Amino acid sequence: MTRTRIENSVQRSGRRKILRDVVSGVGSLASASLLSAGAIRADRASPLHPKVIHQPARARSVIFLFMAGGPSQLETFDPKPLLNELHGQPRPSQFGEAKYQFVQSDAKLLGTKRRFRKHGQSGIEVSDLFPHMSTCIDDFAVIRSCHGDQVVHSAAQYELFSGRTVPGFPSMGSWALFGLGSESDSLPAYVVLPDPLGALEAGQPMYMNGFLPAAYQPTMFRPGDRPVLNLKLPTGVDLQQRQRTLKLIRKLNEATLRPGDEELEARLSSYDLAFRMQTRAPDVFDLAHESKETLNLYGVGQKPTDDYGRRCLLARRLVENGVRFVCVVSGGGSGNMQWDAHKDIEENHLRKASETDQPVAGLLKDLKRRGLLDETLVLWGGEFGRSPEAQGGTGRDHHNLGFTMLMAGGGVKGGQIVGATDEIGLRAVESPHHFRDVHATMLHQLGLDQHKLTYPHLGRDERLTFLEGNVIDEII
Amino acid sequence: MPPRAATLKTFCFACILAAGFAVPAGTTSGQDVVELQDRLTFEEDVAPILKSHCFRCHGATKREAGLDLRRRFTLMTGGDSGPTISPGMPQKSLLVELINDGLMPPEEEPQLSQEQADVLRRWIASGAAIAGKDEPPLATDDNIADLVSDEARQHWAFQPVQDVSPPTVENESWVRTPVDAFVLAELQQRQWQPAPVAPRTTLIRRLYFDLTGLPPAPEDVAAFVNDKSVNAYEKVVDHLLASRHYGERWAQHWLDVVRFAETEGFEYDRHLPDAWRFRDYVIDSLNNDKPFNRFVSEQIAGDEIQPDGEQCQSAAIFHRLGAVRRNAGNPDIALSRNEVLTERTNIIGEAFLGLTVGCARCHNHKLEPITQKDYYRLQAYLASTSEYDIPLASPEDHEAWEKRTAEIKADMKKLKAKIVEATGDQAAQLQHELKQLSYDFPPHPATIPSIRNDFENRTAIHVLRRGVWEHKGVAVGARPLSVLVSMSEPELPADVTSPKTRLAQWLTSDRHPLTARVIVNRIWQNHFGTGLVKTANDFGTHGDRPSHPALLDWLASSLVKNNWRLKSVHRLIVLSNTYRQSSQTSDSPETEVSAADPENRFLRHFHRRRLSGEEVRDAMLAVSGRINLKAHGPSVMTPVDPELIGLLYNPSQWRVTSDTREHDRRSIYLIAKRNLRLPFMEAFDAPALQTSCPRRGVSTHAPQALELLNGRFANDMAAAFADRLTHECDGDTVQIVERAYHLAVGRAPTSRERDLSLDFLNEQPLAEFTLAVLNLNEFIYVP
Repeated sequence: MTRTRIENSVQRSGRRKILRDVVSGVGSLASASLLSAGAIRADRASPLHPKVIHQPARARSVIFLFMAGGPSQLETFDPKPLLNELHGQPRPSQFGEAKYQFVQSDAKLLGTKRRFRKHGQSGIEVSDLFPHMSTCIDDFAVIRSCHGDQVVHSAAQYELFSGRTVPGFPSMGSWALFGLGSESDSLPAYVVLPDPLGALEAGQPMYMNGFLPAAYQPTMFRPGDRPVLNLKLPTGVDLQQRQRTLKLIRKLNEATLRPGDEELEARLSSYDLAFRMQTRAPDVFDLAHESKETLNLYGVGQKPTDDYGRRCLLARRLVENGVRFVCVVSGGGSGNMQWDAHKDIEENHLRKASETDQPVAGLLKDLKRRGLLDETLVLWGGEFGRSPEAQGGTGRDHHNLGFTMLMAGGGVKGGQIVGATDEIGLRAVESPHHFRDVHATMLHQLGLDQHKLTYPHLGRDERLTFLEGNVIDEII
Repeated sequence: MPPRAATLKTFCFACILAAGFAVPAGTTSGQDVVELQDRLTFEEDVAPILKSHCFRCHGATKREAGLDLRRRFTLMTGGDSGPTISPGMPQKSLLVELINDGLMPPEEEPQLSQEQADVLRRWIASGAAIAGKDEPPLATDDNIADLVSDEARQHWAFQPVQDVSPPTVENESWVRTPVDAFVLAELQQRQWQPAPVAPRTTLIRRLYFDLTGLPPAPEDVAAFVNDKSVNAYEKVVDHLLASRHYGERWAQHWLDVVRFAETEGFEYDRHLPDAWRFRDYVIDSLNNDKPFNRFVSEQIAGDEIQPDGEQCQSAAIFHRLGAVRRNAGNPDIALSRNEVLTERTNIIGEAFLGLTVGCARCHNHKLEPITQKDYYRLQAYLASTSEYDIPLASPEDHEAWEKRTAEIKADMKKLKAKIVEATGDQAAQLQHELKQLSYDFPPHPATIPSIRNDFENRTAIHVLRRGVWEHKGVAVGARPLSVLVSMSEPELPADVTSPKTRLAQWLTSDRHPLTARVIVNRIWQNHFGTGLVKTANDFGTHGDRPSHPALLDWLASSLVKNNWRLKSVHRLIVLSNTYRQSSQTSDSPETEVSAADPENRFLRHFHRRRLSGEEVRDAMLAVSGRINLKAHGPSVMTPVDPELIGLLYNPSQWRVTSDTREHDRRSIYLIAKRNLRLPFMEAFDAPALQTSCPRRGVSTHAPQALELLNGRFANDMAAAFADRLTHECDGDTVQIVERAYHLAVGRAPTSRERDLSLDFLNEQPLAEFTLAVLNLNEFIYVP
């Protein structure tokens, strides 16, 4: 399926118009013709108005399944028999040097206890951590040769999200929104679903819009059924009451509005959007609309998949309703509550995988059967991988020189492996792909050209891929 | 801008490296194991071949494609196309690829023999060894780079400030201050007319917000509107410039520029003890109209100027304001020091020079005549600068704090050990206890988180190839940017006793072409919304050109003549007719004039301004009567959503200020925490606090509306506003509507507004009406 933005925007604006008519109960106050002309102008003036893209798009939305803390490539998608053979020995010098955060140079290699088996038609090897994801392996492109520049969480997380190792630069979600605008009439366009277990090292700045205008900032969802700040009415105020107040706000503002004042018209229509968010978004957030079968597919209502399953299902409901970018975080709070397995790789990864495997597979299958996978790019991975050496006997340290990320949907050709690490999984040696390449590929699938999507900041036209990323041609 | 895009493509490959590009070192892939006896080294085997075939274009005098082949490390970092070699992997090495494909050396050059090519391949395959442990730095790293052309020196911003006189204009009566003559001359040249003077109700609102960030009280408006004296306007201006709220408003502009925050950002987002002293220093300096040259010097060299003066020490907190990465584990100390020096150097370029000096960290600036050596020479002024927390508390208090802190840390350590052993519910319980314990840390005793010179541990400053700290080039000493001094200007010796004072002296010399221009432009920008130079942090050759070059120079020299006093510049601007113009314009976007000047750079009318987040919040507090105008002191933490605090790595960092009256203080007194910005400020385009923000963005989006409709703060304010009105108007609804409009937007309601409001109040609660008033366009925008 090839889709272009032109088609999208026509379809979408049709839907937008209908919606505007539906909610005109809120706004049908002044002369109807003046209002709708104003509203249309204001829509165009809105920073979130859908934009013309640079090239044909394959994906409309992105879901990033962020495995925070750094999942091990060696326990998941990159089997290394030699590593098991060399277990307990120092790293042979021909594999070269690596800098770690904690592990010292005399550390010994650690073999894995996981078993790998070929799956699907593609026969890609997946470890026994993922009995569910392995059933969708033919949809995944397995990029075994990812690398980044940093071995500490905060800097690596910034790089994963913004392409820069320092905070203050826009995240990929903000860039996507800046490039494409929003297709939703009633939902925030860039959503982060943090893990209720707690915060990550890079904190909120990692997800932020940096120097892009505030309209492109993420909306951080909170746990529970009222995930968006300020969508809930203050205590003691009901919806009808608030509707009357909104009507007064519009009337009073219109009393001083000069015709053709696009900026203030845009401000008035932002209240319409706010009201639609308030009335319609909670419905999107409500998983009660889903069938028992679907809930089961995601592992909702079962331990230990309930939480991540709910958030993956919510992610599907969001993209289905036009949300552009959703980040579903697995891991939060202290290191071992993330994929940050310094102490015991077995215990940690078995636990983290059991929480996420079924939800991720459920999401993929659900997207696919609804025809959404074609237009939704799914990205799976963390800020780095883990060291072939043992830390403290059974753990693994951070490691940035070679690790695995997965991509599916959104025009990505699944069932294939890209690149390779060396024989102990230390370093990407075949077709290495930096985070920049992942970013460039994402933008490409969204119909955006990494070189054209720029924003001036302190004397330089900044872009997500810094100078340039290489689109991973094999998978598109 | 296609031509520039092309430049940019080659322009910052190096930035990637500086950002920590992992250079694969000493690898051999499994397939390509080489016998160890075959030990080739760069010096003995490789360099002679490269020297005879490659150095001519990729060596000391020329570096085509940004590539220098004189050292192994320069091969590793490579040029515009990336690393040249991948040790252990000849098949992955650009060098081998180009030779195999017959692309290098170029046809016209002597070609490599098969044996020579084979040596290169085998050297890479065997791990690309060097003979010794380290390679010598490149002594002549700079000789191509040191020259700044005479043409580059001609750029307007590098030229001395011109001594200009205001032009003569046809309509002399329109000229109230010389500013008007410059503006009017440009308008008349294009046969355009300035807009009429705005009504007094507008002017007073404009002045109050602009100069103090607060709305005028209805009584202030009435007094001004009814003041028949000729200098009624001047009196208001003088009153506001003398008000301490002036400093509270204008300090924020400076804090944006120097990316002021009270925490270190990154993972730990550690709170800098008492960093608010810098904020108070800025407020006080502005209120006292401290000469700007002194203001600059104190921030740059406060520790040298007056080592024992609290003011100067607080000013020097300037050097501590950047984000700092602190890691557990192995990462190198030298790397961290390099990051800190980088932060400190770049901000001096951005804030004072108005130049993107930071781009020259990794390579000569691709767009500006700033060499990489210039960059490190600027950094060399800061080579001895080190963190120094100056204790203000008594030694006893400090000791007590240290003791208590150590105890809690010890308890936490014990608890953590227990957690390792524990399982299930017990572990959760212990985790909870641990979290509780983190709230027991006593507040840090009074401190100035400043800096001082530590000459013994001076960092030797080298030109760093690609900005990577391990790749040391030639050593350099402190010296101003080449383009701004004569080529023969010597570097300062390493043992100069007051290096930062020397930097400050250069920056604040009366003849410096940038310092005065840059600050008067910032002032102009904050009065009019756009600077005379639109790119306030970039006066370089690729920055914006001034719309009124003569005016910019005239303002800059006026500043210097008036002993660098900023209030003198404010007066020249706000007393002008240019500033008093109406923002209402008759031209629609289609007219010829608007087409010729779509951004109104020539100031045909005033610009309506969306209030900043701080102003919106302060105005709501002022209008509701809740505002607490207390000045100075520790920053306030207001209650925020627990979920937001949960997103902090260390939630116990957020300690809501216990005295609730403090929660109603002006926004400048709220804490600036990098990893937790208030959602209200985020919605209204407050800066990210990570990098310098030369100019605030303005965007309009739904979360703003939600914040003002459903946010807790907005509803609290609406309720307080309602209480105030009930109290002041004795419950009389007509009066309430009247008063609400006067308080919130500084005028009486029109009959239509009155009717709509009274209709609404017939049935609806007053707090909903006041909420609507706080949501008026007119409340959020100043005309």
